[in-house]
Amino acid sequence: MTGTTALLVVALIIAAGLYLAVNAKVANAGRALLTLEAQRDELERENSELMTYFAQITSPDRLLERAVSMGFRPASPGEIDYFAVPGLQPDPEFMAPQPPFSQEGHRSGLSPAFTETLGEWLARVIGGAR
Amino acid sequence: MTPEPQARRRVQLVMGVFSLVSLGLLIQLIRVQFGPYAPVFAALDRGGRGLTEEVRPARGLIFDRDGVLLAGNATRYYLEVELRQLDGNEEIVAGVVSALLGVPADDVVAQLTARDKFVGALRIRLTRPDEEGGRWPITVDPTAAGVISAFLADPEAPDLAGLALVPLSQRVYPAGSLAGHVLGFVNQEGRGYFGVEGFYDDWLTGRAVTVQRSIIPPEAGLNQEPPAGVNLVLTIDADIQQMVEGVLQRTIEWSEAAGGQIIVMDPSNGEILALAAWPTLDPNAYGPWLGDQSEEEPVINPAVGGQYEPGSTFKVLVMAAALDAGVVLPDDVFVDTGEIEVGGHTIRNWDGEAWGPQTMVGCLEHSLNVCLAFVASQRLGAETLYDYLARFGVGRLTGVDLAGEVPGQLRTPTHPEWTESDLGTNAFGQGVSVTPIQLLAAVSAIANGGDMVQPHVVRQVVSSEGAYWPSPTTLGRPISARTSQTLTDMLIESLEDEALLIDLAGYRFAGKTGTAQIPSDYGYDPNLTVASFIGWGPMPGPRFLVLVRIDRPRISPWGSVVAAPAFQEVAERLVVLMGIPPDSERIALVGGE
Repeated sequence: MTGTTALLVVALIIAAGLYLAVNAKVANAGRALLTLEAQRDELERENSELMTYFAQITSPDRLLERAVSMGFRPASPGEIDYFAVPGLQPDPEFMAPQPPFSQEGHRSGLSPAFTETLGEWLARVIGGAR
Repeated sequence: MTPEPQARRRVQLVMGVFSLVSLGLLIQLIRVQFGPYAPVFAALDRGGRGLTEEVRPARGLIFDRDGVLLAGNATRYYLEVELRQLDGNEEIVAGVVSALLGVPADDVVAQLTARDKFVGALRIRLTRPDEEGGRWPITVDPTAAGVISAFLADPEAPDLAGLALVPLSQRVYPAGSLAGHVLGFVNQEGRGYFGVEGFYDDWLTGRAVTVQRSIIPPEAGLNQEPPAGVNLVLTIDADIQQMVEGVLQRTIEWSEAAGGQIIVMDPSNGEILALAAWPTLDPNAYGPWLGDQSEEEPVINPAVGGQYEPGSTFKVLVMAAALDAGVVLPDDVFVDTGEIEVGGHTIRNWDGEAWGPQTMVGCLEHSLNVCLAFVASQRLGAETLYDYLARFGVGRLTGVDLAGEVPGQLRTPTHPEWTESDLGTNAFGQGVSVTPIQLLAAVSAIANGGDMVQPHVVRQVVSSEGAYWPSPTTLGRPISARTSQTLTDMLIESLEDEALLIDLAGYRFAGKTGTAQIPSDYGYDPNLTVASFIGWGPMPGPRFLVLVRIDRPRISPWGSVVAAPAFQEVAERLVVLMGIPPDSERIALVGGE
């Protein structure tokens, strides 16, 4: 009787330990996810800032100002010579960057395989057995 | 020591440890439930076990045709304060905010201590007073936000407990006022107004979604991402736009005019290469403009919303109709006696003089009102003239993809207020109103072999699903290719006869000046005019069509004096920027191939 009780206690302790371990892992993964999401948001903001800053310092007004300060001036039509370059291909047209793909309807959250609790699993199994 | 007491002590020790842990948990539960942070957690609980919030995707970017970013997004931060977390540090928070942002410290302290005003409020957003007595949320740039974040993280720094930074995406226009009238602007609520921002607002905004953000790690999941707004590539060329804005500014300044526009369009496909307007509009600081906006004289979107009587530039449409209908030929001679009566209304020339025998080329070259009134009233007739004007789209929207377009005004014989005298005055651009973009679209038929193209400013739409290039749209074919060529030749000849007007060695242009008096409640004021020029070239195979409109110039009222030189300057720079060789070299290059 004592042996059986001890076995039961050990089994319960093992089950509880496993349950805690799984939950701890989920919590860690969740924490990592929250951190990564925050980092991603911050990086997107930084990227946007840098893009805007780059556009500011290379805006036509700034470039003209710098060119004039370096002694350049706009060319007049009479100062330009034209010549044919056989086989020269024109520059490819500018393509705007593609916006991020919408995750709507594709990834609404983690798979239940990663988030299902023991209680939920039991409820599902019992519910399914009925 | 017997084993029994030892076991009892061990049990007591374990129970003691468990009791302490339980007590700790109980205290923490009581603290969370009833302590100073209780309302914060309660608020989270009301929204579920996390935050329910509306997530807006980043607004789509806008580029010029070569990839110059014209509209982007930057991050600003709201300053919010969690009132329950303030621990008597109101003065410190106010001092830091005041030192960083120049906001009166007293005002911030007042906001932080006015608890009665915020009964039940847990969190307030700091505001600053504006000049009109209202209040606007305080926003800080990333630099100031970095300082505040550093203070919050440093225990040695001033105590800013309770202060929080809430990111906010804000529209910015890196090139300042460049192409401001094309772009429009976005208000603080993220809604686009005027220009491209207004016209494509729904596409640029994307779609906001409501998400439930869990702050409990085990329940954190990938949140639903809102469908992003599209990125747009405009037909605008930033270099040409900058050049045109410079020419416009110089013209406005030397002619002491009140305002004006210059639009450059590719007549073969309707792409707007540049659209400049004065006064300029900086979309980063659009506020002052809203007060000036009126229905009669829109200052934000004058190219599509600012209708005006076009004056003599309209004569090219009337002459096109007459040539196409076969009622006149270029060499037909009209004897100008200096006046003509149409519908009981006497029409005179701009100088009041009689010009004697003139061919149709001469009529255009000297811009004779009497001649064109004769052509309209005695050769074309009302039905044919208005039929052609309708085909040219006068009085109708062009459908340009800029918000705020108006259709202009054209009274036809079916209009109750139309009189026969309108036939005579309409012939030289009086009593009819057009928008600059509408006149450009109409004249594109003459410059483009008879096909009238729809003006547009967006050449590429890039969404997360792929890219789309809107194809050029033909609005109609009001005249034949032959008429288009004939009239273009006539206008080239008339400009060449007036060599001082447009003179660019190696290039030929077609064009027409316009000087229109401005109607008022008391009739036409001879001292207030709209001086304009519409021209295209270089011929053959025109690459650009340019409209110059200068409002109320004081130095001279005439289009030939004020607007034509601006066209000359624009054309001179355009052939360089667009890499168009002179006629002789073009022929040699083509021959060399």
